[in-house]
Amino acid sequence: MIPEQTFFPDPALDRAFGVVMALAQEVWVMRDRMAAMEAQLAERGVLQVEKLNAEPAGDERAAEREAFVQHLMQNLLGVQQAKGPR
Amino acid sequence: MTIDGRAFAAGQAFLLSTKTWWTRVLYPEVRAEFEKDTVLYRYFCWLERHLQRFKYSGRYGLQPYLAQDRARLEKSLEGAPAELNPGLKYPEYYTRIDIHQHPGGVWSDPIAGFVYERGARSTTPLAGQRHRDLHERLTAAALERCPAPQRVLDMGCGFGKSTRPFSEALGPGKVEGIDLSAPCLRLAARDAAGAARFRQVDASRTDYPDSSFDLVTSTMLLHEMPPAVVEKTLAESARLLKKGGRMVHLDFLPAEDEFSRLIHFGHGRRNNEPFMEPLAGMDLAALLERLGFRNMEIRPFEEADGALAPGYQYWRFPWTLISAERW
Repeated sequence: MIPEQTFFPDPALDRAFGVVMALAQEVWVMRDRMAAMEAQLAERGVLQVEKLNAEPAGDERAAEREAFVQHLMQNLLGVQQAKGPR
Repeated sequence: MTIDGRAFAAGQAFLLSTKTWWTRVLYPEVRAEFEKDTVLYRYFCWLERHLQRFKYSGRYGLQPYLAQDRARLEKSLEGAPAELNPGLKYPEYYTRIDIHQHPGGVWSDPIAGFVYERGARSTTPLAGQRHRDLHERLTAAALERCPAPQRVLDMGCGFGKSTRPFSEALGPGKVEGIDLSAPCLRLAARDAAGAARFRQVDASRTDYPDSSFDLVTSTMLLHEMPPAVVEKTLAESARLLKKGGRMVHLDFLPAEDEFSRLIHFGHGRRNNEPFMEPLAGMDLAALLERLGFRNMEIRPFEEADGALAPGYQYWRFPWTLISAERW
């Protein structure tokens, strides 16, 4: 095992940025796939693209979104979720 | 985990778009603020290193993607008329590092030629579909200096990309490509379908008789060798050429300024090409003279229209034509 080259004063940033870029690539791959799926579904009349693109009348997924945000942001609090050594 | 074709294409396209941004936006910014330890410079280096890693070994990398299709790819090479030398021992400098961050290098895996070929399509982002241009431009430059050669040797021919424009221009039976890599030679021979001959021979010590060729060429070969092997390869070029014959090598030599050298030598380190810097340190003009060449040219090569224009600001390789006549 040969250690990877590093470019930042703290190698933690070298590694963390790798995670960021890997996720960014996944986002693009997913967006590409979703767009292709939408195009195929619209072509067959299964999907109404205008309806999908329109601003929703109500807040359709408020509860799921709140849960998502809560789960994401609680990491910043630095609080143990199961008690253990400090 | 399998990689389907769409995901592979999207994953690689993401990397190429990011590399294009690196080439067109980040590089001019880094040059404008040229100091070694800026945040931008660090990201520039990081991206150069790791976009290449993603390209070859990442989740949507060339190696895992093509390895899924290994059986079919290997079968397609069966009967390819490459003349391989089972007794050839790969030199230590060649196997010590995985060049271009290609896992296993371009020689150890039977499908390495396919991985290399696919990767080479996006080596220089701005070239895009025009990448083939480069080889055609070199062929034109070589044939301008050595019109109508009867026999041509393409050293370090790889999977045959540099050889093809010569065999297309000159017709079958005149061009031979040599390389160390058996997997690349197999692919070259398969695709050439008899238009050129491909042999597994070390360019620094070939088995051809003296004065066998009118033209000896290479493309991106010299910077992949340590200086002692470069010297032997150029001496071999001299030995193989007929009197009045030409050698034309296309390679990389950075401009004299500190920034160009920092970027180019850094590229060599980050792309696992450790002999970039030593090549730039060689006195090639003196060496060629010592080897019995004359009418030497060592000069920047315009790989695409406008690439040598004074205002050109994007990242590019410092392409250099190294040509001389056997005397």
